[in-house]
Amino acid sequence: MTHPAGAVREATSLLGQIADTALDDDYYVFRGSDAPRTRWDGAWVAVLIVLFAIIMTAAAVQTREDRPATELERRTLAQDIEARRQVLESRQSTASELRDEVESLRASAARVDPRTEDLRLVAADVPAEGPGIVATASGSPDDVVGGRISDNDLQLLVNGLWYAGAEAIAVNGNRLGSLSSIRTAGDAITVNFRSIGPPYTVIALGDPDTLTERFSENQGGAYWEARAKSSGLRLSMTPSSEVSVPAVPAGRLDLKHATALEVDR
Amino acid sequence: MIPVIGLVIGVGVGLWMQPTVPLSLQPYLPIAIVAALDAVVGALRALGEKRFDDRVFVVSFISNVVIAAAMVFLGDQLGVGSQLSTGVIVVLGIRIFANAAAIRRRIFHA
Repeated sequence: MTHPAGAVREATSLLGQIADTALDDDYYVFRGSDAPRTRWDGAWVAVLIVLFAIIMTAAAVQTREDRPATELERRTLAQDIEARRQVLESRQSTASELRDEVESLRASAARVDPRTEDLRLVAADVPAEGPGIVATASGSPDDVVGGRISDNDLQLLVNGLWYAGAEAIAVNGNRLGSLSSIRTAGDAITVNFRSIGPPYTVIALGDPDTLTERFSENQGGAYWEARAKSSGLRLSMTPSSEVSVPAVPAGRLDLKHATALEVDR
Repeated sequence: MIPVIGLVIGVGVGLWMQPTVPLSLQPYLPIAIVAALDAVVGALRALGEKRFDDRVFVVSFISNVVIAAAMVFLGDQLGVGSQLSTGVIVVLGIRIFANAAAIRRRIFHA
Protein backbone atom coordinates (compact mmCIF):
# COMPACT_ATOMS: atom_id res chain seq x y z
CA MET A 1 0.00 0.00 0.00
CA THR A 2 1.42 3.35 -0.94
CA HIS A 3 0.56 6.39 1.08
CA PRO A 4 0.24 10.00 -0.04
CA ALA A 5 3.34 11.29 1.67
CA GLY A 6 5.29 8.31 0.44
CA ALA A 7 5.95 7.19 3.98
CA VAL A 8 3.78 5.25 6.37
CA ARG A 9 2.64 7.78 8.87
CA GLU A 10 1.52 6.72 12.26
CA ALA A 11 -2.06 7.73 12.46
CA THR A 12 -2.50 9.51 15.78
CA SER A 13 -6.11 8.58 15.85
CA LEU A 14 -8.78 6.89 13.90
CA LEU A 15 -10.09 10.20 12.60
CA GLY A 16 -6.58 11.27 11.66
CA GLN A 17 -6.10 8.06 9.77
CA ILE A 18 -9.33 8.62 7.93
CA ALA A 19 -8.22 12.11 6.97
CA ASP A 20 -4.79 10.87 5.89
CA THR A 21 -6.16 8.21 3.60
CA ALA A 22 -8.90 10.44 2.28
CA LEU A 23 -8.00 9.73 -1.31
CA ASP A 24 -8.65 6.15 -2.26
CA ASP A 25 -5.43 4.24 -2.39
CA ASP A 26 -6.47 2.83 -5.72
CA TYR A 27 -5.64 6.10 -7.43
CA TYR A 28 -1.99 5.51 -6.44
CA VAL A 29 -2.00 1.79 -7.01
CA PHE A 30 -3.77 1.72 -10.34
CA ARG A 31 -1.45 4.21 -11.88
CA GLY A 32 0.60 2.59 -14.55
CA SER A 33 -1.41 -0.59 -14.71
CA ASP A 34 -1.38 -1.84 -18.17
CA ALA A 35 -5.02 -2.76 -18.42
CA PRO A 36 -6.22 -1.61 -21.81
CA ARG A 37 -8.07 1.63 -21.58
CA THR A 38 -11.11 2.07 -23.72
CA ARG A 39 -13.50 4.90 -24.44
CA TRP A 40 -16.07 3.02 -22.38
CA ASP A 41 -14.30 4.06 -19.22
CA GLY A 42 -14.95 7.70 -20.01
CA ALA A 43 -18.58 6.91 -20.88
CA TRP A 44 -19.02 5.19 -17.55
CA VAL A 45 -17.73 8.27 -15.76
CA ALA A 46 -20.19 10.44 -17.65
CA VAL A 47 -23.07 8.08 -16.91
CA LEU A 48 -22.22 8.00 -13.22
CA ILE A 49 -21.92 11.78 -13.04
CA VAL A 50 -25.31 12.19 -14.69
CA LEU A 51 -26.80 9.59 -12.37
CA PHE A 52 -25.28 11.31 -9.38
CA ALA A 53 -26.68 14.68 -10.42
CA ILE A 54 -30.12 13.22 -11.07
CA ILE A 55 -30.28 11.45 -7.71
CA MET A 56 -29.02 14.50 -5.87
CA THR A 57 -31.55 16.75 -7.59
CA ALA A 58 -34.35 14.29 -6.96
CA ALA A 59 -33.48 14.05 -3.28
CA ALA A 60 -33.25 17.82 -2.95
CA VAL A 61 -36.56 18.32 -4.77
CA GLN A 62 -38.25 15.68 -2.66
CA THR A 63 -36.97 17.15 0.59
CA ARG A 64 -38.15 20.55 -0.56
CA GLU A 65 -41.59 19.20 -1.41
CA ASP A 66 -41.82 17.35 1.88
CA ARG A 67 -41.12 20.52 3.77
CA PRO A 68 -44.60 22.07 3.30
CA ALA A 69 -46.16 18.98 4.88
CA THR A 70 -43.80 19.20 7.84
CA GLU A 71 -44.39 22.91 8.03
CA LEU A 72 -48.15 22.38 7.89
CA GLU A 73 -47.96 19.82 10.64
CA ARG A 74 -45.90 22.14 12.77
CA ARG A 75 -48.33 25.00 12.21
CA THR A 76 -51.28 22.77 13.05
CA LEU A 77 -49.56 21.76 16.26
CA ALA A 78 -48.86 25.39 17.09
CA GLN A 79 -52.50 26.29 16.46
CA ASP A 80 -53.55 23.34 18.59
CA ILE A 81 -51.37 24.56 21.43
CA GLU A 82 -52.76 28.06 21.07
CA ALA A 83 -56.36 26.78 21.08
CA ARG A 84 -55.70 24.63 24.14
CA ARG A 85 -54.09 27.56 25.88
CA GLN A 86 -57.15 29.68 25.20
CA VAL A 87 -59.40 26.92 26.49
CA LEU A 88 -57.25 26.73 29.59
CA GLU A 89 -57.44 30.48 30.05
CA SER A 90 -61.21 30.54 29.68
CA ARG A 91 -61.55 27.62 32.07
CA GLN A 92 -59.34 29.38 34.55
CA SER A 93 -61.37 32.54 34.31
CA THR A 94 -64.56 30.51 34.70
CA ALA A 95 -63.04 28.82 37.73
CA SER A 96 -62.12 32.17 39.21
CA GLU A 97 -65.61 33.54 38.50
CA LEU A 98 -67.17 30.53 40.14
CA ARG A 99 -64.81 30.90 43.06
CA ASP A 100 -65.91 34.52 43.46
CA GLU A 101 -69.53 33.42 43.21
CA VAL A 102 -69.00 30.80 45.89
CA GLU A 103 -67.31 33.39 48.02
CA SER A 104 -70.15 35.90 47.66
CA LEU A 105 -72.78 33.22 48.21
CA ARG A 106 -70.99 32.09 51.32
CA ALA A 107 -70.83 35.67 52.52
CA SER A 108 -74.56 36.20 51.84
CA ALA A 109 -75.36 32.92 53.56
CA ALA A 110 -73.37 34.10 56.55
CA ARG A 111 -75.37 37.31 56.54
CA VAL A 112 -78.66 35.39 56.49
CA ASP A 113 -77.48 32.89 59.07
CA PRO A 114 -78.38 34.62 62.36
CA ARG A 115 -81.99 35.03 61.30
CA THR A 116 -82.13 31.47 60.01
CA GLU A 117 -80.74 30.27 63.30
CA ASP A 118 -83.35 32.29 65.21
CA LEU A 119 -86.13 30.86 63.07
CA ARG A 120 -84.82 27.35 63.47
CA LEU A 121 -84.75 27.87 67.20
CA VAL A 122 -88.35 29.05 67.24
CA ALA A 123 -89.39 26.22 64.94
CA ALA A 124 -87.76 23.78 67.37
CA ASP A 125 -85.45 22.51 64.65
CA VAL A 126 -82.36 22.80 66.81
CA PRO A 127 -81.65 21.87 70.42
CA ALA A 128 -81.81 24.83 72.80
CA GLU A 129 -80.37 25.58 76.18
CA GLY A 130 -80.41 28.45 78.59
CA PRO A 131 -82.19 29.66 81.69
CA GLY A 132 -85.72 28.40 82.26
CA ILE A 133 -87.92 26.50 84.63
CA VAL A 134 -88.53 22.86 85.31
CA ALA A 135 -92.17 22.18 86.05
CA THR A 136 -92.91 18.78 87.57
CA ALA A 137 -96.52 17.66 87.57
CA SER A 138 -97.82 14.53 89.20
CA GLY A 139 -101.22 13.13 89.97
CA SER A 140 -102.91 13.02 93.28
CA PRO A 141 -101.42 10.51 95.69
CA ASP A 142 -104.93 9.65 96.81
CA ASP A 143 -107.29 7.72 94.61
CA VAL A 144 -109.77 10.43 93.83
CA VAL A 145 -111.87 11.12 90.77
CA GLY A 146 -109.85 13.17 88.31
CA GLY A 147 -106.69 12.53 90.32
CA ARG A 148 -104.81 11.46 87.20
CA ILE A 149 -103.22 13.96 84.91
CA SER A 150 -105.00 13.98 81.57
CA ASP A 151 -103.81 15.14 78.16
CA ASN A 152 -105.98 18.20 78.63
CA ASP A 153 -104.14 19.08 81.84
CA LEU A 154 -100.80 18.89 80.09
CA GLN A 155 -102.08 20.86 77.09
CA LEU A 156 -103.26 23.65 79.36
CA LEU A 157 -99.99 23.60 81.27
CA VAL A 158 -97.97 23.85 78.08
CA ASN A 159 -100.20 26.53 76.60
CA GLY A 160 -99.99 28.46 79.84
CA LEU A 161 -96.23 28.32 79.65
CA TRP A 162 -96.27 29.42 76.00
CA TYR A 163 -98.52 32.25 76.98
CA ALA A 164 -96.19 33.12 79.82
CA GLY A 165 -93.44 33.66 77.30
CA ALA A 166 -91.62 30.34 77.03
CA GLU A 167 -89.34 30.11 74.02
CA ALA A 168 -88.97 26.34 73.91
CA ILE A 169 -90.81 23.60 75.74
CA ALA A 170 -90.12 19.92 76.14
CA VAL A 171 -92.36 17.42 77.88
CA ASN A 172 -90.43 14.51 79.36
CA GLY A 173 -87.64 15.23 76.91
CA ASN A 174 -89.93 15.58 73.90
CA ARG A 175 -89.54 18.95 72.31
CA LEU A 176 -92.75 20.61 71.18
CA GLY A 177 -92.87 21.89 67.62
CA SER A 178 -95.57 23.32 65.44
CA LEU A 179 -96.93 19.84 64.63
CA SER A 180 -96.48 18.30 68.05
CA SER A 181 -99.51 16.95 69.84
CA ILE A 182 -100.30 15.95 73.38
CA ARG A 183 -102.92 13.22 73.29
CA THR A 184 -104.25 10.38 75.34
CA ALA A 185 -103.69 6.99 73.84
CA GLY A 186 -105.12 4.29 76.02
CA ASP A 187 -103.70 4.66 79.52
CA ALA A 188 -100.75 6.77 78.52
CA ILE A 189 -100.25 10.19 77.14
CA THR A 190 -98.29 10.57 73.92
CA VAL A 191 -96.18 13.52 72.90
CA ASN A 192 -94.85 13.44 69.35
CA PHE A 193 -96.40 9.95 69.20
CA ARG A 194 -94.13 8.82 72.03
CA SER A 195 -95.77 7.48 75.13
CA ILE A 196 -94.84 9.10 78.39
CA GLY A 197 -95.92 8.49 81.97
CA PRO A 198 -95.99 10.37 85.24
CA PRO A 199 -94.32 12.23 86.70
CA TYR A 200 -94.46 14.74 83.91
CA THR A 201 -91.49 17.04 83.67
CA VAL A 202 -92.06 20.08 81.54
CA ILE A 203 -88.99 22.16 80.74
CA ALA A 204 -89.61 25.67 79.49
CA LEU A 205 -86.88 28.03 78.35
CA GLY A 206 -87.29 31.66 79.20
CA ASP A 207 -86.65 34.08 82.03
CA PRO A 208 -87.41 31.90 85.12
CA ASP A 209 -88.92 34.68 87.25
CA THR A 210 -91.12 36.09 84.50
CA LEU A 211 -92.25 32.63 83.42
CA THR A 212 -93.29 31.62 86.91
CA GLU A 213 -95.00 34.90 87.61
CA ARG A 214 -96.87 35.16 84.33
CA PHE A 215 -97.91 31.51 84.41
CA SER A 216 -99.46 31.90 87.83
CA GLU A 217 -101.40 34.90 86.54
CA ASN A 218 -102.77 33.46 83.30
CA GLN A 219 -105.47 30.92 82.59
CA GLY A 220 -103.12 27.96 82.64
CA GLY A 221 -101.95 28.86 86.12
CA ALA A 222 -105.50 29.42 87.31
CA TYR A 223 -106.66 26.10 85.86
CA TRP A 224 -103.87 24.19 87.57
CA GLU A 225 -104.52 25.96 90.84
CA ALA A 226 -108.15 24.88 90.61
CA ARG A 227 -107.16 21.31 89.70
CA ALA A 228 -104.77 21.15 92.62
CA LYS A 229 -107.49 22.28 94.96
CA SER A 230 -110.21 19.99 93.62
CA SER A 231 -108.30 16.84 92.75
CA GLY A 232 -104.98 17.12 94.57
CA LEU A 233 -102.77 17.42 91.50
CA ARG A 234 -99.33 18.71 92.32
CA LEU A 235 -97.28 21.10 90.28
CA SER A 236 -93.89 22.36 91.31
CA MET A 237 -91.90 24.92 89.39
CA THR A 238 -88.16 25.11 89.86
CA PRO A 239 -86.25 27.95 88.25
CA SER A 240 -82.96 26.88 86.72
CA SER A 241 -80.14 28.89 85.18
CA GLU A 242 -79.22 26.15 82.73
CA VAL A 243 -81.73 23.80 81.18
CA SER A 244 -81.67 22.24 77.78
CA VAL A 245 -84.23 20.80 75.38
CA PRO A 246 -83.57 18.59 72.34
CA ALA A 247 -84.67 19.26 68.79
CA VAL A 248 -88.08 18.14 67.66
CA PRO A 249 -88.09 14.92 65.57
CA ALA A 250 -87.74 15.71 61.87
CA GLY A 251 -91.12 14.15 61.07
CA ARG A 252 -92.83 16.70 63.33
CA LEU A 253 -91.40 19.59 61.30
CA ASP A 254 -92.57 18.50 57.89
CA LEU A 255 -94.98 21.34 57.31
CA LYS A 256 -96.91 20.89 54.05
CA HIS A 257 -99.04 24.00 54.13
CA ALA A 258 -99.24 27.01 56.40
CA THR A 259 -100.93 30.39 56.43
CA ALA A 260 -99.57 33.33 58.33
CA LEU A 261 -101.88 34.41 61.13
CA GLU A 262 -102.68 38.10 61.46
CA VAL A 263 -101.84 38.86 65.07
CA ASP A 264 -102.37 42.19 66.74
CA ARG A 265 -99.51 42.90 69.00
CA MET B 1 -15.36 18.95 -19.54
CA ILE B 2 -17.30 15.72 -19.46
CA PRO B 3 -18.02 15.91 -15.69
CA VAL B 4 -19.39 19.47 -15.91
CA ILE B 5 -21.62 18.62 -18.85
CA GLY B 6 -22.76 15.48 -17.04
CA LEU B 7 -23.60 17.48 -13.92
CA VAL B 8 -25.59 20.04 -15.88
CA ILE B 9 -27.48 17.37 -17.81
CA GLY B 10 -28.19 15.44 -14.62
CA VAL B 11 -29.51 18.44 -12.71
CA GLY B 12 -31.58 19.43 -15.74
CA VAL B 13 -33.08 15.98 -16.07
CA GLY B 14 -33.74 15.84 -12.35
CA LEU B 15 -35.54 19.18 -12.36
CA TRP B 16 -37.42 18.46 -15.54
CA MET B 17 -38.62 14.96 -14.82
CA GLN B 18 -38.73 15.20 -11.03
CA PRO B 19 -38.42 11.46 -10.47
CA THR B 20 -39.93 10.27 -7.22
CA VAL B 21 -37.73 8.16 -5.06
CA PRO B 22 -39.39 4.91 -3.97
CA LEU B 23 -40.41 5.09 -0.34
CA SER B 24 -38.36 2.01 0.57
CA LEU B 25 -35.19 3.62 -0.76
CA GLN B 26 -35.72 7.02 0.83
CA PRO B 27 -33.82 6.39 4.09
CA TYR B 28 -30.69 5.36 2.15
CA LEU B 29 -30.75 8.14 -0.41
CA PRO B 30 -29.01 10.86 1.63
CA ILE B 31 -26.24 8.49 2.73
CA ALA B 32 -25.80 7.26 -0.85
CA ILE B 33 -25.54 10.85 -2.05
CA VAL B 34 -22.92 11.73 0.56
CA ALA B 35 -20.96 8.59 -0.39
CA ALA B 36 -21.16 9.51 -4.06
CA LEU B 37 -20.08 13.04 -3.19
CA ASP B 38 -17.04 11.58 -1.46
CA ALA B 39 -16.14 9.66 -4.60
CA VAL B 40 -16.62 12.76 -6.75
CA VAL B 41 -14.47 14.98 -4.52
CA GLY B 42 -11.81 12.25 -4.43
CA ALA B 43 -11.89 12.11 -8.20
CA LEU B 44 -11.50 15.88 -8.40
CA ARG B 45 -8.45 15.70 -6.15
CA ALA B 46 -6.97 12.87 -8.22
CA LEU B 47 -7.64 14.91 -11.32
CA GLY B 48 -5.68 17.78 -9.82
CA GLU B 49 -2.83 15.47 -8.90
CA LYS B 50 -2.86 14.06 -12.39
CA ARG B 51 -3.65 10.63 -11.01
CA PHE B 52 -7.24 10.36 -12.19
CA ASP B 53 -8.24 7.00 -13.47
CA ASP B 54 -11.66 6.35 -14.99
CA ARG B 55 -11.89 2.81 -13.78
CA VAL B 56 -10.90 3.65 -10.22
CA PHE B 57 -13.53 6.39 -10.14
CA VAL B 58 -16.26 4.11 -11.45
CA VAL B 59 -15.41 1.36 -9.00
CA SER B 60 -15.00 3.66 -6.00
CA PHE B 61 -18.23 5.51 -6.84
CA ILE B 62 -20.34 2.39 -7.10
CA SER B 63 -18.73 0.63 -4.14
CA ASN B 64 -19.05 3.76 -1.98
CA VAL B 65 -22.75 4.09 -2.73
CA VAL B 66 -23.51 0.41 -2.32
CA ILE B 67 -21.50 -0.02 0.89
CA ALA B 68 -22.92 3.11 2.50
CA ALA B 69 -26.50 2.11 1.65
CA ALA B 70 -25.85 -1.46 2.76
CA MET B 71 -24.44 -0.31 6.10
CA VAL B 72 -27.45 1.86 6.80
CA PHE B 73 -29.76 -0.94 5.73
CA LEU B 74 -27.97 -3.36 8.02
CA GLY B 75 -28.08 -0.82 10.83
CA ASP B 76 -31.81 -0.41 10.32
CA GLN B 77 -32.30 -4.16 10.58
CA LEU B 78 -30.22 -4.22 13.78
CA GLY B 79 -31.96 -1.21 15.25
CA VAL B 80 -28.88 1.03 15.17
CA GLY B 81 -29.66 2.67 11.83
CA SER B 82 -29.37 6.25 13.01
CA GLN B 83 -26.10 5.64 14.88
CA LEU B 84 -24.57 3.87 11.93
CA SER B 85 -25.73 6.64 9.58
CA THR B 86 -24.02 9.13 11.86
CA GLY B 87 -20.81 7.08 11.77
CA VAL B 88 -20.88 6.79 7.99
CA ILE B 89 -21.59 10.52 7.63
CA VAL B 90 -18.72 11.40 9.97
CA VAL B 91 -16.19 9.25 8.10
CA LEU B 92 -17.33 10.42 4.68
CA GLY B 93 -17.48 14.02 5.87
CA ILE B 94 -13.89 13.87 7.13
CA ARG B 95 -12.76 12.36 3.82
CA ILE B 96 -14.61 15.02 1.84
CA PHE B 97 -13.07 17.77 3.95
CA ALA B 98 -9.57 16.30 3.67
CA ASN B 99 -9.84 15.94 -0.11
CA ALA B 100 -11.30 19.41 -0.46
CA ALA B 101 -8.40 20.73 1.63
CA ALA B 102 -5.91 18.97 -0.65
CA ILE B 103 -7.59 20.50 -3.72
CA ARG B 104 -7.53 23.91 -2.07
CA ARG B 105 -3.82 23.55 -1.28
CA ARG B 106 -3.07 22.62 -4.88
CA ILE B 107 -5.08 25.51 -6.35
CA PHE B 108 -4.16 28.30 -3.96
CA HIS B 109 -0.78 26.93 -2.81
CA ALA B 110 -1.90 27.57 0.73
